[in-house]
Amino acid sequence: CTDDLNITPNDDDTLLTEDAFEDESAYRSLLAGVYANLALTGTEGAENSNLAGIDAGTSQFGRVLLYMQTLAADQMIWSYENDAGTRELQRNIWTPQNPLILGMFSRTMASVSFANNFLRETTAEKLDGRNVSDATRQDIVAYRAEARLLRAMAYYYMMDLFGKAPFITENDPLNFTPPEVSRAELFTFIESELLDIQSDLVAAGQNEYGRADRGVANMILAKIYLNAEVYIGENRYPDCITQCEALLSSGYALADSYLHNFMADNNTNSATSEIIFPIVSDGLTTQNFGPTTVMVNGSVGSLETNGLVVGVTQGGWGGALRVRREFAELFADGIFSQDERNTLIEGVNVPNGVTIVTTPPTPPTPRPVDIVDISNRDTGFILQKYSNVSSDGTPGIDQTFVDTDFPLFRLADVYLMYAEAYLRGGGGSESTALGLLNELRDRANNDEVVESSDLTLDFILDERSRELHWEAHRRQDLIRFNRYTGGNYNWAWKGNGSNGIAIPAHFNVYPIPSLSLASNPELNQNTGY
Amino acid sequence: GTVTDGTNGLPLPGVNVLVKGTTTGTSTDFDGKYTLNVSNGNVLVFSYLGFVTQEVTYNGQNTINIGLVEDASQLDEIVLIGYGTTTVKDATGSVESVTEEDFTRGNIVTADNLISGRVAGVNVTTDGGAPGSGSTIRIRGGSSINASNNPLIIIDGLPITNDNVGGSRGILSSLNPNDIESFSVLKDASATAIYGSRASNGVIIISTKKGRKTFSADIDTQYTFGEIDERIDVLSADEFRDLVNSQPITGATLDTSLLGNANTDWQDEIFRETVSAIHNVTLRGELFKFLPTRFSFGVSRQEGALITSLNERRNLSLSLNPSFFDDHLKVNINANMAFEDNRFADRSQIGQALRYDPTQPVRDGNPFFAGFYQHTVPGNNSLIANGGTNPIFNLLQRNNQGDLNRLFGNINLDYKFHFLPELRAVLNLGYDHSESNTSTFARFATQDVVRGETSFFNQQRVNRSLDGYLNYANDSGDVFDYDVSAGYSYQVFTNDGGFTGNLQDPQTTGDTFADPDIVLIGFWGRLNLDFYDKYLLTLNYRRDGTSRFSEDNQWGNFGGAALAWRLSDEDFLKDSNTISELKLRASVGWNGQQEIGQTDIFLSRLRQGNENSIFQFGNMPVQTLLPSAINPDIKWEETRTIEFGIDYGLFDNRFTGSLNVFQKDSEDLLFAAPVPDGSNFTNNIIQNIGEFRIQGLEFSVNADVFREGEFNWNANFNATLLDRDITSLPFGADIPVGPNPSGTGGNIQLQRQGEAPSSFFVFKQLYDANGAPIEGAYVDLNGDNIINDQDRYIRENPNPNALFGFQSNMTYKNFDFSFNLRASVGGYVYNNVASGNAQYALLQDQSVLGNIPTSVFNTNFQQTSDVVLSDLYVEEASFLRMDNITLGYTFNFEKAIKSIRLWGGVQNAFIITDYSGLDPEVGESGFDSNIFPRTRNFLVGANFKF
Repeated sequence: CTDDLNITPNDDDTLLTEDAFEDESAYRSLLAGVYANLALTGTEGAENSNLAGIDAGTSQFGRVLLYMQTLAADQMIWSYENDAGTRELQRNIWTPQNPLILGMFSRTMASVSFANNFLRETTAEKLDGRNVSDATRQDIVAYRAEARLLRAMAYYYMMDLFGKAPFITENDPLNFTPPEVSRAELFTFIESELLDIQSDLVAAGQNEYGRADRGVANMILAKIYLNAEVYIGENRYPDCITQCEALLSSGYALADSYLHNFMADNNTNSATSEIIFPIVSDGLTTQNFGPTTVMVNGSVGSLETNGLVVGVTQGGWGGALRVRREFAELFADGIFSQDERNTLIEGVNVPNGVTIVTTPPTPPTPRPVDIVDISNRDTGFILQKYSNVSSDGTPGIDQTFVDTDFPLFRLADVYLMYAEAYLRGGGGSESTALGLLNELRDRANNDEVVESSDLTLDFILDERSRELHWEAHRRQDLIRFNRYTGGNYNWAWKGNGSNGIAIPAHFNVYPIPSLSLASNPELNQNTGY
Repeated sequence: GTVTDGTNGLPLPGVNVLVKGTTTGTSTDFDGKYTLNVSNGNVLVFSYLGFVTQEVTYNGQNTINIGLVEDASQLDEIVLIGYGTTTVKDATGSVESVTEEDFTRGNIVTADNLISGRVAGVNVTTDGGAPGSGSTIRIRGGSSINASNNPLIIIDGLPITNDNVGGSRGILSSLNPNDIESFSVLKDASATAIYGSRASNGVIIISTKKGRKTFSADIDTQYTFGEIDERIDVLSADEFRDLVNSQPITGATLDTSLLGNANTDWQDEIFRETVSAIHNVTLRGELFKFLPTRFSFGVSRQEGALITSLNERRNLSLSLNPSFFDDHLKVNINANMAFEDNRFADRSQIGQALRYDPTQPVRDGNPFFAGFYQHTVPGNNSLIANGGTNPIFNLLQRNNQGDLNRLFGNINLDYKFHFLPELRAVLNLGYDHSESNTSTFARFATQDVVRGETSFFNQQRVNRSLDGYLNYANDSGDVFDYDVSAGYSYQVFTNDGGFTGNLQDPQTTGDTFADPDIVLIGFWGRLNLDFYDKYLLTLNYRRDGTSRFSEDNQWGNFGGAALAWRLSDEDFLKDSNTISELKLRASVGWNGQQEIGQTDIFLSRLRQGNENSIFQFGNMPVQTLLPSAINPDIKWEETRTIEFGIDYGLFDNRFTGSLNVFQKDSEDLLFAAPVPDGSNFTNNIIQNIGEFRIQGLEFSVNADVFREGEFNWNANFNATLLDRDITSLPFGADIPVGPNPSGTGGNIQLQRQGEAPSSFFVFKQLYDANGAPIEGAYVDLNGDNIINDQDRYIRENPNPNALFGFQSNMTYKNFDFSFNLRASVGGYVYNNVASGNAQYALLQDQSVLGNIPTSVFNTNFQQTSDVVLSDLYVEEASFLRMDNITLGYTFNFEKAIKSIRLWGGVQNAFIITDYSGLDPEVGESGFDSNIFPRTRNFLVGANFKF
């Protein structure tokens, strides 16, 4: 009975690929799997990961993206530097051994893998072979475009963060060793893919919530054009304006309240008209240690224990996250005291009237703005931007895993990109730019009007930080403004000094993680590492 | 005639008496008596396990009384090898047998206790003193890095799985040690190759006791009184108050108003003195005048030192051993039932007890927490966030029980053909079924006041095996004997179960699970050649199939060859007075390894997300399907072992033993290694990549220091030297492994080419002029003026370089005295108890004070995150441990009760070590994180023979 050696899975949750598609709903589930790679880390809950070399919870896409773009810049500090990789990352002294960088690289390339797999399983040939119904085939047209979109988005992040990528498409077989492609080649690929799939994608804002549509393609195009000088040394600001205009005329609208974008019900409240693409999170069905779970639990202060205010356990994570001085100073001017975007908490002096219910009721001392010792969680301001409470005051379903979706792309960013591209000579009009910026201020309950004379690139950079902080954009922005490496701008703990030290230019891209480099002989380490 | 024990004159029941060269014979009865019809000139052979076989020629005597002498050398001792037996004399490989009389005496709770420290090359370790918990057994250091390093364990011909079921303490935990007759340890590849793909880590063959024709009964009873005499040194309440008042933290002020007035030693509260007991009843005899039978019933109840921890076990064992057709058909039926009941105590509460504020009372009468003290928000009953909870309360309020029912056994048919008695056909059918039920009840969840826990988990593992073989043995000739066997083996393992999730949490749901079947099929053959009783050759071959690999890779060929030369039978040594036995051995063999956790990794599969891992489209849940990581090319890991050995006997075999040197080379390691990103559905998958080498030397000596007269002293010493090196790693890249010392996502160990597996990877501590460590200051090893990952270096590894065992058994008249010592040299341990706790900043977390180890005064460190990777926490963990000492006295009677032995003993009597933590023996990981402490046990027992 040697045939007994040929086994098949017995578990009802595991299906042989060849059997799975007997049920046509598998295509939708498979697509959900491609999306889920941005929100989940595996199939067995938040503490399970299909990646190795990094803590499971930390390996979530949005989490590592937040670490790469925000923690490694001037807006955020992580208190627990015994969490592997955080110290080197937030002090800008990282090495190719850093597990968080590995997590970013591997998770993003996993998106490529899952998208490729979807495309391989939905070729006309395969669908013919399985006698797939016309209705499902119709859906699959958009599904395939979305898979290509998610793949292009993954390559966009590879291009931005690593300046290169191992390149593999559905035309390559599984376990194929992908060759390295340059930043310029990636740029071309991303651009052509996003343009190519436009017609197959659902119109902007028209897809089911959580799925990507033409608006997401426009958004990524706008971003690569805005950063084209960094990526390929070319001025593509007019193209950026074009994409922004397309988005501005797509029916999106700012949420009623700035904070709606960051609340437990941002999948149903007014933010749904603003959020162009969310990373979905749910305290019950889609549990993850992603950016919103981290930022809600992490922003609970060690002194304030304001967890109940933001819908998690009272102590949250004991003061895991705080802000650096330079970020706090962006709101120091009195004109921002009532600005909704200013959710800083400075200890006893709560500037914008956020009510903190704590027991004991008052922290003994106001928080100093400077963080001299990173492990001292009582120093530095905390920030109460994200919340696991709905706009109607109802807390989320779970006290750790938040319902709050992460707004990966939202309309306010388009407004700011438009203004910047205009300033950088991409065309458009000043009045539109000013109008957009003032719309943002107005929405934030800030009646200080931005005038033509205010409209400088430095202003844009600061305003982007005020509007988009903790949304995984900051490193990219600082690089585009040439403030990241070198000594043009030294923020607290940059380069491992509490007052900031210049860092070398090669830190503008991350190193190829040593394990990724080792396993793929086609890859070459980035210069300087 | 009567057969007696030559040393004490006591009758020996069950001695085989055989007319040489025939199958005529009998065995002695209860009184050592026998009757046999013989003719003049017949030679009678008296043989009994553990005694020197004697031959007497019959010359018309009416009675022949024989006093058998205990066999010191035990050269003729039968040794179980795979699918057959051999003798020590004729063994060509490294096979070591430990039989009942050599077993470790003392507190024997689980089967592995019987051989701990007893066999060169075998390391039996536990990771603490949890009651009845199983051990990790390593033969010659294993052979693999990511695949299994567990030896193949075979009980009466039934290979058992190394995978435990939930609710049990270990795969050997449900065995009754009292039912075990012998262990046979197969170490070299020529011996193990007969088990092909499953034997690269060695084989342990366990034989259970069988029925006899003569009636005997045994009652054993034993009580154990245990206590922990060592504690982790943390501050006493008064020291704690002094330290808090001294404000030792730079940049922060401790809130002294949080200090309480109580003096609580939380370790005293969570640990207890234990009382445990083991009782066994064994009956042997012949049922219905043809059915030799053994029946035993055993009860064991072991208390753990951590309160509420308990292990109870009941065993029933039945062995039926009839023979039919003039002994042409021998039948052995073994059936064992085990009922294991455990209550598991949450081990993390040990860590909690170290940290909990010693100035707070155990109880303060707060009815909300059943009278127990908790850190609560003043004025209400909500717990202070992140403040930790009362460890006594946690232990008492959480009831986690596991009940295991296990039925295992085998039917063995051994038929000697009537027309050709040299030819035997053997069929062995085995069955092993474990079913466990685990339940957890908690009034409160540890960190959540609102919600408790009620959950159930069940699991069943079934293992079925069929082995059949033919054996043809020709041992008539003096010049040339041979023995040839060929067989077939089939085994299937299943594992499934389900869990309910927390029934008190409406958000969780249960699930069922079912592993893919594991099917193993083998065809094998063996040839033994023996020229002049001096030159021995063994050839093995096995072709194995496994369900763990794809059709293209699932078959593998394994084999071995061994040569032995019995030098002492050559003319030039025959008459030596010094050298009584000398055998040179050489062997080479190839084994396979296929035991990886994921048994269907070669299949293209899609996995559904569980209830918390689904996605949402349009705010409606959508089931996710994710392709699972796949390696269609996965195949066998192969280990080649080369060995040279000497078996020796000196001074009339007063000293016997072996010396072996060996080298094991594993290649195509089943190694969890990175795959190119984007090419698979993961970044790391089990692949056949890398090489690993173990070199070793083993030495053993068994000495009958005194063996005549009233005083006997037998001593056994064994030593093992091991060197383990990763000779080649995938892509030469370092791979971080091992536990996380603090925070999330860290690894304290590393696999690096050219180094031992799981080497510690740390920063080199800087010290000031006074030799005190400077907090967070490390040597900039790469000289780039930045201290980052690239300045970590390898400092030692957890594996000992040398292992020693010493066992001594003395008898004087009716007294017996034995002890065994065990030593481990050159292993290192990362002291996570100190590295994770001994920092001043941990004295207060938000509004809760917490205790810390006194070792903080050695370093004066402030912050955990600054120091946790310092090499000063990697400590040498060599030790010498007195495992067991026993003293007994036997009263002999001539009545219904034959003898009574009363004995007493101490287990874990002492340990000598430089390690600063509680116990250097923390298990294979080398990571000391709140070990379940081992008690020192005082034992009293009695053994009644009827």
